[in-house]
Amino acid sequence: MSGDERQRPRAFRLDDDRIVLADGETPTHESIRKGGVMVETTPDAFAPQDEPAEPRDAEEATEIAQARGMRARALFSWGGLLWSALGGLVSMALGLWATRIVEDLFARSAALGWIGVGLATAVVISLLALALREMRAIFRQRHIATLHASLARARDEDDRDAARAGAAELLSLYANRPDTARARALVKDLTREIVDGRDLIDIAERNLMAPLDAEANREIASAAKRVSMVTAISPRALVDVLFVAGQAIRLLRRIAEIYGGRPGLLGFVRLARSVGAHLAITGGMAIGDSLVQQVVGHGIAARLSAKLGEGVLNGMLTTRIGLSAMAVCRPMPFAALKQPGVKDVAPFLFGDGKERRDIS
Amino acid sequence: MSILSDFLFETRIAASSLADYVTGTGLRLGVTGLSRAGKTVFITALVQNLLRASTAAKDGERALPVFRVHAEGRLMRAKLQPQPDDHVPRFAYEDHLAALTGGANVDERHWPESTRRISELRLTLEFERRKGLRQGPSVLTIDIVDYPGEWLLDLPLLTKSYAQWSRETLEASAAAARAPFAADWRGATLAVAATAPESEAEAKRLAELFTAYLRAARADAYALSTLPPGRFLMPGELEGSPALTFAPLHVEDDTAFASGSLAAMMERRYEAYKAHVVKPFFRDHFARLDRQIVLVDALSALNSGPAAVRDLETALSEILVAFRAGRSGFLSTIFRPKIDHILFAATKADHLHHTSHDRLENILRLLTARAIARAEDVGAHVDVVALAAVRATREAKVKQGRLLGEKSELDAIVGVPLPGERIDGETFDGKGEVAIFPGELPADPKAVFRGDGLGVPEGAADYRFVRFRPPAPRLAKDGEPLPLPSIRLDRALEFLLGDRLQ
Repeated sequence: MSGDERQRPRAFRLDDDRIVLADGETPTHESIRKGGVMVETTPDAFAPQDEPAEPRDAEEATEIAQARGMRARALFSWGGLLWSALGGLVSMALGLWATRIVEDLFARSAALGWIGVGLATAVVISLLALALREMRAIFRQRHIATLHASLARARDEDDRDAARAGAAELLSLYANRPDTARARALVKDLTREIVDGRDLIDIAERNLMAPLDAEANREIASAAKRVSMVTAISPRALVDVLFVAGQAIRLLRRIAEIYGGRPGLLGFVRLARSVGAHLAITGGMAIGDSLVQQVVGHGIAARLSAKLGEGVLNGMLTTRIGLSAMAVCRPMPFAALKQPGVKDVAPFLFGDGKERRDIS
Repeated sequence: MSILSDFLFETRIAASSLADYVTGTGLRLGVTGLSRAGKTVFITALVQNLLRASTAAKDGERALPVFRVHAEGRLMRAKLQPQPDDHVPRFAYEDHLAALTGGANVDERHWPESTRRISELRLTLEFERRKGLRQGPSVLTIDIVDYPGEWLLDLPLLTKSYAQWSRETLEASAAAARAPFAADWRGATLAVAATAPESEAEAKRLAELFTAYLRAARADAYALSTLPPGRFLMPGELEGSPALTFAPLHVEDDTAFASGSLAAMMERRYEAYKAHVVKPFFRDHFARLDRQIVLVDALSALNSGPAAVRDLETALSEILVAFRAGRSGFLSTIFRPKIDHILFAATKADHLHHTSHDRLENILRLLTARAIARAEDVGAHVDVVALAAVRATREAKVKQGRLLGEKSELDAIVGVPLPGERIDGETFDGKGEVAIFPGELPADPKAVFRGDGLGVPEGAADYRFVRFRPPAPRLAKDGEPLPLPSIRLDRALEFLLGDRLQ
């Protein structure tokens, strides 16, 4: 089959004596050498693949979580009505108040009045700008979540066109990140060539996502470290709570930023809702870890000191929050790369290495 | 007059689609394909897979992994419903399935006979809706129509006058590829003057010669496709009626024929054929489709040669003009349904190794390039897939030492060829299994259009696709066959129905 010469169509009767059916066990090189033919059954390319059930579940959890927060698009909800009505009232009150002040200022002197008008205009303009930024952030967030779903689907179905479209969107998402330049160039080249949909997505994931994943992992680890440290040495429970909450918020924002969807205020609420949903769904599943590990980890530390035990537990909680945030912020599912578990990101919480030596 | 009749025609379509909308939220799936593209097998396999999927899942079989509603476990049940149109026969699903599986005797299994008349089937899927305002249990009704593929060739006639059709038919028959078997009829036609007085005997003689020519062109060895009018090949209940007793004549465009002349009689019958045969068929079955799958048997045309491939391309692009593609809105859903998902499927993909499927898809994409561009222009979703509704082969590697060099391996398929199929100088008896290497499709899809070959003999072609017997059915625990094996049927289902089953 070399060069231009194409192999002619051939037929081999399986009931022929010269034909050997290879059933995997005995490679009959002898008979081939003598001019015989070996027919080897190959694995069925179309058989449903028995993929481990967990990744699919994890992916499903992520998509559900995204749908509850980042992609939520409810036309009507009582909560929404309450907040919008309340917001309307408050802004009307503020408006009334501002008008009054400006009127009062004009009553005293025209100059003061004009200053008042100028300040009020500045407030309105900056509010508008902030709202615009907020909306852009929300759209971006939703875009990432949608991209996640469509890439997951394209990979499932091995759909070449969808994969190409998704890869192009990924590239434009990271177009202003200099550190991804090389990976982007590689993926872009491959989009032009004929690559299967699934392969293209896997290549994009390995090249584009891997550095971002590493950065996110680092962030999670350092947040977990800080949290467990501060909890262990803090004098009051209230300080712990505030610090843990503050770190969690910071971590969420940071991870969203790493994956390209830096949230504003409202966007953060949506993101937090998604992360909360993801935590709730995967709670029983324990992302890549068993509950036992957590209990054991807690136990060893707790035996040393109750405070240290709390520190480890809080660190673990932070890690879990970080991992959930990672899952919902990532613009593509974990497929070619393994989804990290608590133990991969923050091994120090499990009494590995130095800590264990300290204990013994 | 013609404006009025067009208006009436449109009104009827709008009325019947309004009726459809009011009576239920169904979906009309158009299974389009020339004769022998595998429409009947596709419908049978589709229905059987849907009906049996949930039973198979209980037995631990994983069928249709890509079809989301099933893979997610939301498909509760599929069942056949009584046929809605009382004047159309029901699709003989049970008979076709029995033919495919052999019924009581497995050795009797064979592909269903070619379709001779129109039939219809209604299937309802009970599923759990996951998204939208109406979450929870839901029902989707799917209407599927089966008909002889030959009739599809008539759709392009709707826009052609008798003179235009005559000229085109005569021109086509003069091409080198068709000349040999068109000679008899061409000779006879050119000898007859269009102004000759009308005569039933003469008309009958010409129609018979014309039919013989069309039949010859369709034979397996040539596998030509552009052969209207379709009822000449598959007359259905109209055999012998005046509407089928006409033939093209050598006439000038844009001339009025003297009344009483042979040409006038032929033209009248041609118009009657359009009015009484083609239009009702189009109106009742094609003008209100929501989804469409176009099955194309590219392999037979490839077997025959480049001329047959080009002919297939012409036939496909002419037919696909007749369909209404476009994005569906609310109003258009009610009054003028448009086809918003079109899937082009190269059938019988099991006749070649899966590594060649990409090339087959590329060839099909090129074959239907015009139709794809038009459909995408108006906003319809289009996809191309290599598919086997019933998979008759498995795959294997053939290793051979002496002839091919040490490392050579051939990607082959293994199955039981139909009796009489020939390849590599061998003729098969339809008994034993054979590993077949069908040759390689060219990497550049344009290569299959180059040349003039038609009915290329087996020894001269670079590839040869052999037809196989249907696979021996595997039985589930309840004694009924498991879902028939298929290639990418689930992907086709997902593309065609997926968005309605969210």
